[in-house]
Amino acid sequence: MRARDNPFAVERVHAVRYRPLGETLEQILTRLDRMNYRGAIVGPEGSGKTTLLEDLQSALEARGFSTRMIFVNDAHPFDGTTCRRLLSELPSDEIVLFDGADAISPSCWRLLRHRTIQHARGLIVTTHRRGRFPTLIDCQTTPQLLQEIVADLLPRDQAISPDLLTRLFAEHKGNLRDCLRHLYDLLATDALPA
Amino acid sequence: MSDFEIDLHEDKTSYTPGETLRGAVRWNSQTSPRRLDLSLLWYTSGKGTRDVGVIETIGIDNPGALGSQEFAFTLPDGPYSFSGTLISLVWAVELTCTPGAETVRREIAVSPTGREIVLDHVPSQRRLPWTDKGPGGNPLESILSVRR
Repeated sequence: MRARDNPFAVERVHAVRYRPLGETLEQILTRLDRMNYRGAIVGPEGSGKTTLLEDLQSALEARGFSTRMIFVNDAHPFDGTTCRRLLSELPSDEIVLFDGADAISPSCWRLLRHRTIQHARGLIVTTHRRGRFPTLIDCQTTPQLLQEIVADLLPRDQAISPDLLTRLFAEHKGNLRDCLRHLYDLLATDALPA
Repeated sequence: MSDFEIDLHEDKTSYTPGETLRGAVRWNSQTSPRRLDLSLLWYTSGKGTRDVGVIETIGIDNPGALGSQEFAFTLPDGPYSFSGTLISLVWAVELTCTPGAETVRREIAVSPTGREIVLDHVPSQRRLPWTDKGPGGNPLESILSVRR
């Protein structure tokens, strides 16, 4: 299969938005408002934290808030200099959306948390573990959620057996991103079980 | 008719590098856009992060609710349109409207043959000759032991 035809191509997967389990995005926004726009999106790898953060950014901007998204990873480190520069130019009406709170040093985190509480409208972070910041939502995945996403990505005349998806879910320990990458490879090499 | 259309001259979608792509854009919108942008671009699609190259953009300011405009782009030397199992490179002409999220895209192929180059799948499990262990064991270990 050509890469451009693969239903699990990255750009198609990125088009899938976050699906809260048992609540709506509106309810999450209401909770965020009650938390004075300070909270953590908690969850393991591949559970949709970054996707939810992006969705919150769109929803907040649609409500008239000014936001700033910061992605931190190995390729985009966030050291003390970067942190201080950000904080020095931070407008007081801005909500900072910070993806990757686990990837910064404890001193940077303390500085960021302290200064944004004082000077910014809000701070929403993604993290793998509870306890750093008040939890806004705990991202969970289920085999059923994987099945729903796969059904949405596949053409209508195609299906993948729920048993295979359940096995993939277990193999990748609930990491939906890895499950979808695995499915990409299976389709790319025509190795999908009949 | 949709609100925005891209017509390619003679409905041609196969091009060679250096060739001129001609066509016309037509719009019939409920509201008057502030600006239309027509871009010649390529993008990648597949397993990795999407890469995009915008070659040229033609802007149409205050186009009004109804209208059309002809355009011409000279195609560069590359990259060529191609597809493998991991990545495809796709050429397109794309029309975007401001304000709004309206986007219309027409895909084309650019290569010396005018067709997308299809790369054969290379089985990932195939062992390459220099990775085979000979009777003496791992060849890399042998090299390292010689250099010690």
